[in-house]
Amino acid sequence: MRGTLFETDKFPPPPLCKRGEKGTRWAITAPPTLFLLAFFLAPALIVVLASFQYPGEFGGLAPLLDAGDGREHGLTLENYQFFFSDFLFTEILLRSFLVAAASTLICLLLAYPVAWLIAKSPRQHRDFLVLLVILPFASNFLIRVYAWMIILGPQAALARLLNGVLGAFGLEPVSLLFSPFAVLVGMVYVHLPFMILPLYTNLEKHDPVLLDAAQDLGANAWQRFWRVTWPLSLPGVFSGSALVFIPVLGMFAIPDILGGTRDMLIGNLIKDQFLGVRDWPFGATLSIVLTLCVLSLAGLAAWAGRRRRGEQ
Amino acid sequence: MGWLRWMRRWIGWRGSLIPSPSPGGGREPEPLSPRERGGGEGAARALAITLATFMSAPVQAADTLYLYNWNNYISDATVTRFEAECGCQVVRDYYSDNEEMLAKLAAGASGYDLVVPTGYAVEALLRSKQLRPIDTARLGNFRNLKPEFLGAFFDPGNRYSVPYAYTITLLGYNSRKLEELGLPTDTWALIFEPKYLEKLKGRVTVLDSQRELIGAAMKYLGYSVNDSDERKWKQARDLILRAKPYWAAFNASSYIKELTLGNIWVAHGYSNDMFQANADAVKARRGFNIAASIPKEGAVLALDSMVLHKTGRHPELALRFINFMLRGENSAELTNLIGSGNPNRAATSHIRPDIAADPAIFPDRAALGRLEMLRDLDRRSRRVLNRVWTEIKLR
Repeated sequence: MRGTLFETDKFPPPPLCKRGEKGTRWAITAPPTLFLLAFFLAPALIVVLASFQYPGEFGGLAPLLDAGDGREHGLTLENYQFFFSDFLFTEILLRSFLVAAASTLICLLLAYPVAWLIAKSPRQHRDFLVLLVILPFASNFLIRVYAWMIILGPQAALARLLNGVLGAFGLEPVSLLFSPFAVLVGMVYVHLPFMILPLYTNLEKHDPVLLDAAQDLGANAWQRFWRVTWPLSLPGVFSGSALVFIPVLGMFAIPDILGGTRDMLIGNLIKDQFLGVRDWPFGATLSIVLTLCVLSLAGLAAWAGRRRRGEQ
Repeated sequence: MGWLRWMRRWIGWRGSLIPSPSPGGGREPEPLSPRERGGGEGAARALAITLATFMSAPVQAADTLYLYNWNNYISDATVTRFEAECGCQVVRDYYSDNEEMLAKLAAGASGYDLVVPTGYAVEALLRSKQLRPIDTARLGNFRNLKPEFLGAFFDPGNRYSVPYAYTITLLGYNSRKLEELGLPTDTWALIFEPKYLEKLKGRVTVLDSQRELIGAAMKYLGYSVNDSDERKWKQARDLILRAKPYWAAFNASSYIKELTLGNIWVAHGYSNDMFQANADAVKARRGFNIAASIPKEGAVLALDSMVLHKTGRHPELALRFINFMLRGENSAELTNLIGSGNPNRAATSHIRPDIAADPAIFPDRAALGRLEMLRDLDRRSRRVLNRVWTEIKLR
C-alpha cells in the first residue's frame, strides 16, 4: 500500500528556500489562505459560538451581552443538554451514518467496474467516456432528482412491472417512491460520478507491466486483481469514498423529495432548525456534533492507515 | 420546504436569463394561468423588472413601489392597472415562506414599502418594531372589508395591518375515488382513523409542517391549535403515529401534482393548492375532480395582511396601493387567479360564481367560527414541539 487520502507525510518537507523565493511563496499562498480564513474558519467559529447561545425570541440568536431588557443573553450548555436529553437525536445521527455507509458501498461496487473499463479502453476514447460520466452535472441536481420521482412513481413502467410480478405471486403491491429505497437510489445516483472519477484517475495510472509480471509468476485473474490492482487502487477508493460519504451524510434534499414518512436524516433535522422552527442554536449544535463525528472518523481512518503501514 | 421552492425559482430564473428583458418596463401582460405560489416565471419577471429598475433608477426612484409578496400572490393585470393609474412602477420581490421573509428582513434587507405576511409573522414584525402605523381613516375602501376579518389577534385595532387574502388548511381529495370508496370527507378522521385509512393506504400525504399537522391532530382531538400543553401534544403525536403507516409521505410542495395525476387520493394542504390541483385535473381531462372540504372539527386559517415596512421610502404610494387593492374588482382578481379566500365584501360580485359558491374557499359563518389562526410559540414551547415532531418523523 502506497498511501491513503489521509496521508500527508508522503512528501518530504520542501528544502529551506532563499529569501526572494519566500516572498513569492507568500504572495501566492496568501490569497487562498485569507479566503479560507475569512469564508471557512470564521463561519465555522461562528457556528461553534452559536451552538452555545440562546435562541432569539423571533428566531436568530439571543444577544451575547445584556441588552438591559431582561431577556436571555450570554452562553449556555442548554443546546448540548437538549441533544443528549433524548436518544432520539443520536438515533437520527446513527441512521444517517448507516445510510451514508450503504450509499458509499453501493457507489463503490457500481463505480469500480465502470472506472476500470474506462481506464482500460483505448486512449482516444477515454476523454469522451469521462465526459459522459460528468454529463449529468450539466443539468441541475434537483431536476434530476425530480426525474426520479417520475421514474419511481406508481404509474411508471418500473412500478407497474414490479407490482405485476408481485401480484402474480399473490403479494401486496409495493410503493417505490416515498421509501428508503427511493432515498438510497437518489443518493447513489447523484454521487456516483464522485466515486467514478477518483477511481478512474487512479486506475489509469497503473502500470500494465505489473499485471504481466503477476501473470508470469502464475497468478490467475482473481489473484491479479486482489493482490495487485485492488491494493494499488486503495487511494482512489478512499478519496472516492470520502467524496460520497460526507456529502450523503449532510444531504437533505433527496430525503425531502423521495423519502417517505420515516426517512428523516440528520441533514433534514438541521435544515428544519434553521428554515422551519427558528432554533438556530440547536441547528448549530447538531452541525457541530455531526462535524465532530466526521472528523473523528477521518482521524480514526488516518490512524489505522498509519498503523498498517507501520506494520508492513 | 421553502428552500425547495426557492431553488425552483432560482432554476426558473436561470433558465429565463437568456431572452433579455427590454429595459424600461414595456412588458406585455402574460395570459393568466393558475399557478402554485412557487412558480418560476414570476421570479424571472421580478428579475427583469429589477434589472429594468436598476437601469432607470435615477429617474424613477421617486415613484416606485417596492412590493415584497408571496409568489404568485397578485395578478399581473392588477399590477399593470395600478402602474397606469398612479403613473408609477411596481417592483416585485417574492418569498415562498414566512420564515424566509422574516429571515431576510432580520438579516437587514431594506427598502420594501409593502409586505404581505401571515398573522403570526405580522405579530413577529410588529413586536420587533419593524412596522409603520397605517392610518385606516385615509383608506376610503377600508370599509369594504368584512368585519370578521378585522381586529385579528396580531393587531386588534388594525393599526398596522390591512387584510389582503386568506387560505385554509384543509383536506383535498379525489372526488371520484372517495365516492367509490364511500368515505366521509368532512372530518379529520379521514387521515387519522385506521378504519378509513385502510382503504387509502399509500394514497395520503400530509403537510411537512410541525404546526399544521399537529394543529390538525389537535383539532381532531378537540383542542385549540394554539394549546401548548405538552400532554396534549403527546396525545396528538400518538394519534399521528397510529395513522402514519398508512400515509405515503410528508409533503409540502408536490401534492398538487400527485393529486392531479391520481397517485394520491387525499392530501392535507392549503385551499389554494387544492384549487390549482382541480384546475390542472380539469385541464388535463383526468375524468375526476379534486374537491376540498373543511373538516367539521375545525382547521387552521392563515390570514395574510398588507403591512408597511419601516425601511420603505414610499409610504404614501404604499397607502395608495392598499386602497387600490381594497377595491372590489382588484381584490377579486387574485381570488379568480389562485382561488384564495377573500376578506373583501365588495369583491364578491366580481368573483367567478363557482369560486364564490365554494364552501372550502368561502366557508359559512358557522364553519368560519371553527377556524383558528396559528399564534407564534415561545422558544421553550418551540423546543418541546420540536422534540415531539422529531419523534413523529423518526418512529
